[in-house]
Amino acid sequence: MDVLTIQNLRKNFGSKDVLCGLDLSVPEHCIFGFIGRNGAGKTTTMKAVLGLLKPDSGQIHVMGEKVHFGQTRTNRYIGYLPDVPEFYSYMTPFEYLNLCGAVSGMNKSDIVARSKELLDQVGLGGERRRIKGFSRGMKQRLGIAQALLNQPKLLICDEPTSALDPAGRKEILDILLAVREQATVLFSTHILSDVERICTKAAFLNDGKIAMQGTIAEMRNKRSSDGFIIETEQQGTDDTLIKVFGELKRKSQNTFVFHGGEERFFAIMQYIVENKIPIQRIERIEPTLESLFLEVTK
Amino acid sequence: MRSLLSFLKKEYMETVRTGKLIILILLFMLFGIMNPATAKMTPWMMEMLSDTMAESGLIVTNIQVDAMTSWIQFFKNIPIALIAFMLIFSDIFTKEYKSGTLLLILTKGLSRYKVVLAKTVLLLSFWTLGYGLCFAITYGYNAYYWDNSIADNLFYSMAVWWLFGIWVISLIILFSSLLQNNTGVILCVGASVLLAYLLSIIPKAKVYSPAVLMDTNSLLIGMEGINAYIKAVIVAAAMCIVCVAVSIPIINKKQL
Repeated sequence: MDVLTIQNLRKNFGSKDVLCGLDLSVPEHCIFGFIGRNGAGKTTTMKAVLGLLKPDSGQIHVMGEKVHFGQTRTNRYIGYLPDVPEFYSYMTPFEYLNLCGAVSGMNKSDIVARSKELLDQVGLGGERRRIKGFSRGMKQRLGIAQALLNQPKLLICDEPTSALDPAGRKEILDILLAVREQATVLFSTHILSDVERICTKAAFLNDGKIAMQGTIAEMRNKRSSDGFIIETEQQGTDDTLIKVFGELKRKSQNTFVFHGGEERFFAIMQYIVENKIPIQRIERIEPTLESLFLEVTK
Repeated sequence: MRSLLSFLKKEYMETVRTGKLIILILLFMLFGIMNPATAKMTPWMMEMLSDTMAESGLIVTNIQVDAMTSWIQFFKNIPIALIAFMLIFSDIFTKEYKSGTLLLILTKGLSRYKVVLAKTVLLLSFWTLGYGLCFAITYGYNAYYWDNSIADNLFYSMAVWWLFGIWVISLIILFSSLLQNNTGVILCVGASVLLAYLLSIIPKAKVYSPAVLMDTNSLLIGMEGINAYIKAVIVAAAMCIVCVAVSIPIINKKQL
């Protein structure tokens, strides 16, 4: 079942078309990477899903229920973490979660138990200070705790790792990985290594539309190999190789990189076999998400 | 209902922990003490100034002060207290729009009208508390030094001015739902009060203008009864309800 479906979503700000017919579906229990450049419309899409922004046209369904702007009934299924979460700084984390729980209609004992559990999970269990003194990473972790408080079916995170140092980023990604059991995670980012690390599915947003979506493996397969690396065993034997095949580029002493068609590659292989050139390794260069992203958003 | 109460609790916690409550109490206490103090000091000040005044031809004779002097001071000073109150609370909505704190709470499922209601209740209660404190202090000193019975319609006057404060608060709420920053809210509330004041200059329209509620002197000295104010009271009360009611659909449609 799809937790979230978006059909033909359109939104413009003045003369700028931010979303032009976006279609997206997010299945249950996956970590979905929503990838796009800065200003591509990721936050706009997320705010429309949360009913905080009025789309010009298009439909959004969360758990099969239609999202209406201004009314936030579907938000009971959603946990939301904005890119820079802002809390009431005069409260302690526990007090803040209590407020969130009461507002979302949880009962008192559940709020206390769940708050303790989540604060422990995000590493803020022993924190008695008010939020005022928190670092960005701590706020981000508290943001995840509040988003997970009412056990949402869908966790929406808007660039949760963009502003964090490597240690902070790792903590957030680990938490998101652990969350996968409980909820579907939709997270927007432009850090592709984060997507490769934790996402099971992803979509590229470009020019207000989804340019490509699928599992990470499917997306990689959509693009042919970026070429091959050929490493010979000894130096000297390879000189003939580079003379015959001018398109080979020397990478190091006895390593070459080849970018070209399969046919030409088989010709190189044949030459190697016929001339008995000793080979250390031949490796296909896998397309990275980054090269794919750059190609799609060109 | 529980979510409304929780949000209201948060509002009170904010007022206490950000120090606004202390400022508010000190402010209204100061104003409460100032009224009888000014009245008490008037003869002494006049005496001090008598020499200078005599030079310009003014002769100071025996100055009589009583509770009325203090009450007139009270109604002269209370507008300043109301302006301070407005400045303290003018960002009660806009701060939340700007910082994005409201966004998270709304995504937790809080209905927007509850935000309006909670903030309205908070403002009404603190205005009533502050104003009541100021009044009680002045009343107490006046009773100690003089006699409060000299002032006619004292409690009517108090209620009329209290309603004027409520009217201003309802304007704060309305403009906060429309605008994004508190400077805009302050300017628009100021402009509305000015408009009401200008309206009160026109003889035919005067009785309907909420600005009339500020002028309680004729009520205090018994020149006029409460009947003279009844139309303005009805207009102001109706406007309060309309302002808050209109704010709800506006906030519902607001893009955050």
